[in-house]
Amino acid sequence: MDNSIEKRLHNLRERLSYITDVFAGKHSDSTVMLEERLTFFAGRAMSGASENAYAELATVEDLFAHVERRLDKTLSPMDKVRIVRHPQRFCLRDILENVYDNFTEVGGQDEHSLDPGMLIARAVITRSRGKKKYMQSIMVIGQEKGHGAEYRNGGSVKPWGNAKALQYMNVAETEGIPIHTYIFTPGSYPVEDYPGAAQQIAKNIYNMAGLSVPIVAVVSEGGSGGAEAIGLADKRLMLSHGYYSVISPEGAAAIEGRLKNGERASPELIEHCAAHLKIQAEDNLRFGYVDKIIQEPPLGARPWHFDFFRSLRQDVIRATDEVVISTRKMPVLRGLALARHRNPETDIDGLYIRWGLSGAAKARLVHRRQQKFLRLSRQAARDRRPFLTKTATTFLDWISKPWVSFKYDFYHKHQRQISTLMEEINNEIDMIKYRLLSPWRKLRCRLPGRQDDKAQELTTLSTWEESGRSRKWNYLSPRYKIDRTLTCPNSESYGCLDLWGPDLFAEFAGVCSHCGYHFPMEPEWYVHNVFDAGSIIEFNSEIEAGNPLDFPDFSDKITAAKEKARAKSGCMTFEARIDNIKMVVAMLMGTFRGGSVGAAEGYKFVEAAARAAKKRYPFLAYVHGTAGIRIQEGTHGVIQMPRCTVAVRRYIEAGGLYMVLYDTNSFAGPVASFLGCSPYQFAVRSSNIGFAGPGVIKETTGMDIPPKYHRSYRALSRGHIQGIWDRRQIRPNIKQALLTIGGRNLYYR
Amino acid sequence: MSTTQSDDTLRKHKILVANRGEIAIRIMRACKKLGIPYTAVYTAEDAASGHVRLARAEGGEKSLFRVSSYHDANELMCVADDASCTAVHPGYGFFAEDFRFARRVAKRDRKMIFIGPSWKIIRELGDKINTKRLARSLEVPTVPGSDRPIYDEMEAERIAKTIFEFQQQQGIRHPLVLVKASAGGGGMGIEEVYDPDQFRSVYRRVRNYALRQFKDEGVLIEQRIMDFNHLEVQIVSDRTGKNPVHFGTRNCSIQSTGLQKRIEVAPGFTPEVINYSFDAQKVLDDIVAYSLKMARSVGYDNVGTWEWIVTRQGAPYLMEVNTRIQVENGVSARIAKIRGQDGVDLIAEQIRTGLGEHLGYTQDDISFEGVSIEYRLIAEDPENNFTPWVGQIECFEWEKAPWLTMLTHVPERLPYEIPTEFDPNLALAIVYGKDIRQTRERGIAFLDSLCLTGKDNRGNGLKSNEAFLKANTERILHF
Amino acid sequence: MLNISQLLDEIKASPYREIVVVAPHTGKITFAEIAPGDRVHGPQGQWKELPGDRLATLERERNPKPVCAPENGEISLVHKELNGCFVEAGTPLVVLRHMLTRDEVQRTILQKTLHLFLAPERAKYYFTPEADKKIRSSDAHSVTVRDGMELFIMSRMKREVPLHYTGPDGVIYEVYFKYNENLDAGAPLIGVCPQAHLHVIHDMIIRVQTEWTET
Repeated sequence: MDNSIEKRLHNLRERLSYITDVFAGKHSDSTVMLEERLTFFAGRAMSGASENAYAELATVEDLFAHVERRLDKTLSPMDKVRIVRHPQRFCLRDILENVYDNFTEVGGQDEHSLDPGMLIARAVITRSRGKKKYMQSIMVIGQEKGHGAEYRNGGSVKPWGNAKALQYMNVAETEGIPIHTYIFTPGSYPVEDYPGAAQQIAKNIYNMAGLSVPIVAVVSEGGSGGAEAIGLADKRLMLSHGYYSVISPEGAAAIEGRLKNGERASPELIEHCAAHLKIQAEDNLRFGYVDKIIQEPPLGARPWHFDFFRSLRQDVIRATDEVVISTRKMPVLRGLALARHRNPETDIDGLYIRWGLSGAAKARLVHRRQQKFLRLSRQAARDRRPFLTKTATTFLDWISKPWVSFKYDFYHKHQRQISTLMEEINNEIDMIKYRLLSPWRKLRCRLPGRQDDKAQELTTLSTWEESGRSRKWNYLSPRYKIDRTLTCPNSESYGCLDLWGPDLFAEFAGVCSHCGYHFPMEPEWYVHNVFDAGSIIEFNSEIEAGNPLDFPDFSDKITAAKEKARAKSGCMTFEARIDNIKMVVAMLMGTFRGGSVGAAEGYKFVEAAARAAKKRYPFLAYVHGTAGIRIQEGTHGVIQMPRCTVAVRRYIEAGGLYMVLYDTNSFAGPVASFLGCSPYQFAVRSSNIGFAGPGVIKETTGMDIPPKYHRSYRALSRGHIQGIWDRRQIRPNIKQALLTIGGRNLYYR
Repeated sequence: MSTTQSDDTLRKHKILVANRGEIAIRIMRACKKLGIPYTAVYTAEDAASGHVRLARAEGGEKSLFRVSSYHDANELMCVADDASCTAVHPGYGFFAEDFRFARRVAKRDRKMIFIGPSWKIIRELGDKINTKRLARSLEVPTVPGSDRPIYDEMEAERIAKTIFEFQQQQGIRHPLVLVKASAGGGGMGIEEVYDPDQFRSVYRRVRNYALRQFKDEGVLIEQRIMDFNHLEVQIVSDRTGKNPVHFGTRNCSIQSTGLQKRIEVAPGFTPEVINYSFDAQKVLDDIVAYSLKMARSVGYDNVGTWEWIVTRQGAPYLMEVNTRIQVENGVSARIAKIRGQDGVDLIAEQIRTGLGEHLGYTQDDISFEGVSIEYRLIAEDPENNFTPWVGQIECFEWEKAPWLTMLTHVPERLPYEIPTEFDPNLALAIVYGKDIRQTRERGIAFLDSLCLTGKDNRGNGLKSNEAFLKANTERILHF
Repeated sequence: MLNISQLLDEIKASPYREIVVVAPHTGKITFAEIAPGDRVHGPQGQWKELPGDRLATLERERNPKPVCAPENGEISLVHKELNGCFVEAGTPLVVLRHMLTRDEVQRTILQKTLHLFLAPERAKYYFTPEADKKIRSSDAHSVTVRDGMELFIMSRMKREVPLHYTGPDGVIYEVYFKYNENLDAGAPLIGVCPQAHLHVIHDMIIRVQTEWTET
């Protein structure tokens, strides 16, 4: 038999097994039929019975193509998940070889790499305009699945892999070359070893929010945090057979089915979750979280689909060009250029756009990117503010801007000079007074009766405005009314006696009097005991969490949560004072669906950061607890990671002081983005901070984790947080931190 | 003393004796005298203690429970519920001055009576700064110095300077200033300053220590008084809190090197026999009057002790208020008479009034006669810093006498292993005489007759403070 | 040198230990569905982080607490007559017949191999704060002791006195006392292994691990 027939037969067998794998038992009639035809032909070809083997083979191949096209229309979301995870799917190395003209890997070679799951390469493309050839450099960053090679870890990147990615993003920025990122990850590898999964992702997102080179991201498998670590881009392209999701369908099923350690979710439940999480390319395009879909061949591209790579090349170059063009200043020229580029008939290789940016263009690029993310997902939260309120707010914003900028930019600068002058004048007056009065003072000293003053002072009651001492709490946990005892979780190792509830939840502020373990308290406790009484002004309370994906049964759950927590969303934003220091606070409440963050919470967080920036107040994120991104909101949730981080970055760069305080349990998305990026993060004692909980770690890595793996003390030792506070000392500690970090006027660096 | 009409209401109560050893025995005896049933508790280590034997022999139904620890309030509450107790007597130590415990007893779903002052009073007088300020507001003398925590270094320095100058004015040769953490207690975070120039560094050290240890950098600055006698005033009041009476004064100046009392004497001074460099009678009258004034002012509603120090110049200063029955209440009771009747039992008075009975007498009905001293017999080595001795007691005997009251949980003539978990007190011996000379003689006679021997696990003989007590008997009430 | 084979044979001759589970404090006891003959598990998991099987629930002041099996074993007696009753602290509840585990055998043999530092008096013992911190943050093996080093606090009669370690220099290999537990004079506090003998100990452990089969 002919060698090339053998090769093509092998290819068909691969395609057949691919179909079988992708559909996992569905459409067995088609696969059986294909298999019969294939075996039949193979038999004939082998025995030499076939007269025209090439023609027959072509028929079989056509049949395969036909069936593939037909089946492509039936693909369910879960089938697509299986496609992107299939070893036969193309990988980043295939892209490097087929999309770019040349490349050098700079992030390690094969298994000899800091993290083989993260691939980094300097690549070039060559374009020609007329006879002139242009070489353009790109930094390519992405997860490498290596067609199932075990050392690639399926593209699940370890914290140091993401750190490597960040390092080369910064290199690209220095060199002024664009970045192409390719997202092939089921999620980040959830270990807390330095630099820590969450902490590193937060750093990546924060940095990407201000990177001054064009970034284009291509999503094949976009698994939550792992995807966001390299996903904050000017243009986000998505492959038609990829998925982009807040969590793997299996993970969602485990949460939906409330599965405990080791239990497996049923395939039906997983399908159900995949279907309702809206993870496909069309969904995400509709929501606006990706800018364009790149069409793949039927049943998804594989390394031999060279046509696909050609179109991918066109798309990424076009996207890069568009980003560059959109930073141009002249609107007319910009429009013309964009129109030409967007025309699908244009051969991108025949055009040449310089990718280097001027200083002003860089600023415009970053600004556009930030604005783009800030605009996202607003529709997914229910804004119940009355129309008038909204209009009034906007109007006030507009009115107050000049005043605020006068007050802070002009007045404060000159105020210092005025007060210095006044001080000097006062000094002079005091000096004159002292001289004038000295004879009288001398006379008074000689008068008798002075001795008794000492005894008087030392033995009689002094005046004392009792402040901090024996301070009473403004709010007591309602649990203090229940006559029962509680066992401290540390009693085994520290010998703590059982605590009486009425003592524990009132006077002790939920702190074990023996070992100092902190029992969780209600969010209200903090609101009323940390800040000055009566200083709380809540805003945007009408922005409500909803069910933007119409996730089955979830609307009821959200309604129930609203009633239980007596709040409209899991994020309360308010202005407050501590000893008359004003600040804006965003509080994620662990009592509202675990403190998960969805579109409404993100919206309020972004608004709070903007308000803090406008009013020149410090911004405190108090995390009473957060379980992560609200999975039932799908990508509406996950987009809050880059979005809120952008908001925080804008606030910090405007000179703001952003502080984070973690309490109880803080995990996953929020920690890995807008919380973890703060330069000043503190934790309350007995809190846990991490990326994924023990169950998820066991599920994804197979490792058992030690019992104290997520304790805040480990986060402190690792450098994630800057300090651990006693709950009863939060108020003085915040005040001290504000005064020492925030300096004189608490806002400007 | 107990008015017979209300005996029936008393008998409806049942008291949880939340203590061990000698005081538990005294409480149970007082209950028996009043006809009130009781429940005692003990721990595994303490099974051989006298209070367990007494409860087993004389207590009624559900009168003895083994608990995991005397320190665990939950155990006591749980036992009280099972035994249907209606009141809790904390004795001294353990929960006696724990306002949270008192509050829990009074506020839990199945409410009980805490036999002691109400929890708010315990809290108020348990706070030294608060007590000092209260005293000053009533013009009761306190140790010269600050009566509020000082946070400001300049102010601290100024106060220290004033205290130094104040002492110089009074002719004190080596003035001393004490700097202590205001949130501290139990002798922690206290330092002396003898030189004004040294003050700043000491102040900073104490302040930093306080900040680390108690999360509050306030300090108190006081005069350090070196040469003084330690006096106490015994107060008794009923739940109305309106008519407190006193049961005289005690002198507790003979103490171990660790400032633990070893001999207590009632009354506090005997100016009719001994010469003092100051008007001792006036001092006694004054501290009694001051104590009553404060008790009345706070509405003090049970037994308590006002602790005073009296300087060689005869200036009394209030130190603190002990809101509990004290170990040495027996010496005061021994010399007191109510309407001419002796046999006063302050613990019975405490229980009776604690359960709501009125006092039934006034200060005029109380008279005093004679002198009484109390020895605390302890297995310890006075030569070696009063280190407790641990081992087995083989013989414990003494000559009985009508003027001697022996309070002990240690069995006579039976071997007894001293438990290591608790105070090393073995017995209290209360000796009475018509005057100080007779009391002293009887005290010596008692100590001479005492046989106390034992061996530790290395075969060494028992060490006790017998010789120390004997040597110091001569000194009592001299100042 | 110790004859490990002989020691192992001795232990193999009587490989069981009787464990009496007592009420840790007073309260109302409710037994789990257990009966004599049942097999129960002690704490499990790599760090013994999963508690043992529940034998009973002890409720005090509306705080129900599980009473768990301290070790694997077979239940030989349940005081079912106490079910629903108020019990005092220390009341026997369940008796377990426990076959010695590898670790226990190892510990028994270690006790004969290591240098044992004994409690001089009946008292409660604690590590000094520095040592305690080290042990809590990693494990006992990280603490090196020297002759004359202040290592313990001995607490009795409400007095705390420092206690100095005497014996060969080495690492703390085993800790034999628990927090807040009263020890009799002569009870071992720690087992110390001189640095040079660590390999002997490791060989011994390997032998026990291979020769002792757990059921």
